[in-house]
Amino acid sequence: MKTLKYIWRNIRRNPIRSLLTILSVGFSLALMTVLYGFLAAQETWKNGAAQANRIVVMNIQGFSGRLPISSVDQVRSTKFVAAAVPFAWFGGSYQDEQMPFAQFATDPEHVFDVWPEYSIPPEQLEAFKTSRQGCVLDRRIAERRGWKVGDRIPLKGAIYPFDLDLEISGIFDSPKNTDSLYFHWDYLNEGLKQQSYPNIDNAGTIFARIASSDSIPAVIKSIDDKFGSSDTPTRSQTEAAFAQMFADMVGNVQVLIRNIGMAVVFSLSLVTANSMAMAMRERVTEIAVLKAIGFPRSRVLFMVLGEACAISMLGGFLGVGMGCLFLQGMNRLMPQFFPFTVMEMLGPWISYGLIAAAVLGLISGIVPAIRAAQMSVIDGLRRIA
Amino acid sequence: MSNSNAGETVVVVRDVCKEFYRDQLTIPVLSGINLQLSEGDYLALMGPSGSGKTTLLNLIAGLDRPTSGDVIVCGQNLGQSSEGELARWRSRHVGFIFQMYNLIPVLTAYENVELPLTLTSMSRRQRDDHVKAALEVVALQDRMDHYPRQLSGGQEQRVAIARAIVTDPTLLVADEPTGDLDAKSAAEILELMHRLNTEFRKTIVMVTHDPNAADRARRILHLEKGLLVSEIANNRAKVAVP
Repeated sequence: MKTLKYIWRNIRRNPIRSLLTILSVGFSLALMTVLYGFLAAQETWKNGAAQANRIVVMNIQGFSGRLPISSVDQVRSTKFVAAAVPFAWFGGSYQDEQMPFAQFATDPEHVFDVWPEYSIPPEQLEAFKTSRQGCVLDRRIAERRGWKVGDRIPLKGAIYPFDLDLEISGIFDSPKNTDSLYFHWDYLNEGLKQQSYPNIDNAGTIFARIASSDSIPAVIKSIDDKFGSSDTPTRSQTEAAFAQMFADMVGNVQVLIRNIGMAVVFSLSLVTANSMAMAMRERVTEIAVLKAIGFPRSRVLFMVLGEACAISMLGGFLGVGMGCLFLQGMNRLMPQFFPFTVMEMLGPWISYGLIAAAVLGLISGIVPAIRAAQMSVIDGLRRIA
Repeated sequence: MSNSNAGETVVVVRDVCKEFYRDQLTIPVLSGINLQLSEGDYLALMGPSGSGKTTLLNLIAGLDRPTSGDVIVCGQNLGQSSEGELARWRSRHVGFIFQMYNLIPVLTAYENVELPLTLTSMSRRQRDDHVKAALEVVALQDRMDHYPRQLSGGQEQRVAIARAIVTDPTLLVADEPTGDLDAKSAAEILELMHRLNTEFRKTIVMVTHDPNAADRARRILHLEKGLLVSEIANNRAKVAVP
């Protein structure tokens, strides 16, 4: 009869209480895994952007401000700018899906010059350039939806009063999942003209690749100076800063999420500690018997702590598993927001989750364990005698 | 104190006093107790509730320490031992039999009996041999896989006795071992304890209110208000189930 076996039998002694405790730990850690996964997604996006020599030019008023299409050529003509394209968010729905994947109106001639890390077969790129209703998309979208070159994709405009009828000209590969589709900016603009839409000839934002990272500050200053006295002054920033801007929008949420996580662990440790204390109170005489027949304090301490940690770890495996499954689902459904697969998370997130579970077990078990270890044998035996 | 048996001295209780403290009150429980037991002795402690029987039993078993005086059992002065030393000592020298059996409900009869052996360095096979031998002594080898809830009260107490003897201790202490049993089961338990005393030369100290149980002992001590008031050398100690 080994100690671990005894611990396991004790866990099964009151199965409903153990199960409820395991589930409460599990669901809380699943919530934490998802919340921290959301933070990790933001970090991944920001870190990826920091590695590229790209800048984003937008109206100084932000996304609501116009940026005329003529600005693109002016950006291109700026010294050290290697390539630049308009980049307008379309945000259309596909069949019943409100947000199926990201869609951007851009310049097919230069888009792969701005993102040279993306690769596409030359004949497909050529087809994209020559077909006004052509589009290219991330291979992951194509594989997920079973789409191939030549398939048609109708997208219903949500922001704009114009529906797209696109044909897949090519499929590109990218190091990270972009979950994006690119189509002709001209196609959108012509369509908006036909609808007499007031805000035409708008580039949305401009993405530009700079020849070297050293030149980026000078380029940003040069562009913003150039447009400073125009009707549409700009605010240019690195792609990393652009990503940071999004992160800053939810900055307080990040602090909130971290604090909620801490609060969850703390309150959970109280719940688990109460559960362990109840279990120990029911077993006072039993512990006294063990000590009477010679079990040392250290072993009693180990048995109680072991039981608390085992319950917590079972909840930890359950919670991290559920959280990872949820994030994997988010990665499949909305990869633009969760740009990593569960396989990429396995190492750190399982470690963090299980460490949190172990710490939870130790915190919740330490007081009942010390009380059990220090309990007087005589008092314990008297409890039932 | 008389020594009814010619064996080696196992228990020496010398001028022992025990006081408890409750809410700044000092409660004397035992006063000036002297007692000596030899190997193979069988002592019954009797007296009204609150007379100090169980306290004296706890002192002899190394579960508690005297306020003054000496308790020397199997050569160890228990009053001078640390709690850790007492725990190790108990695991080697004392077997416990409780009124409510106090088996671990999540362990089988076999595992309950094996429990004290997990504190030793015995191999699995050695433990197995000892457990089966102990269960054979109490005639429960066929119930070794049963959980306590699957046993009768008498069988549970027999498993508890097997757990008490499995380490082959010098001393067995029993606190009202028949107090929760019917007459038939109680007689079986008393007969078993008698066998342990006569065949296996176990020294037994038993607290009891039951004159029939006390009648099995070789010596009967009466306590009253913490004092030893009388001792009877029980030459009529029964050797068979009545």
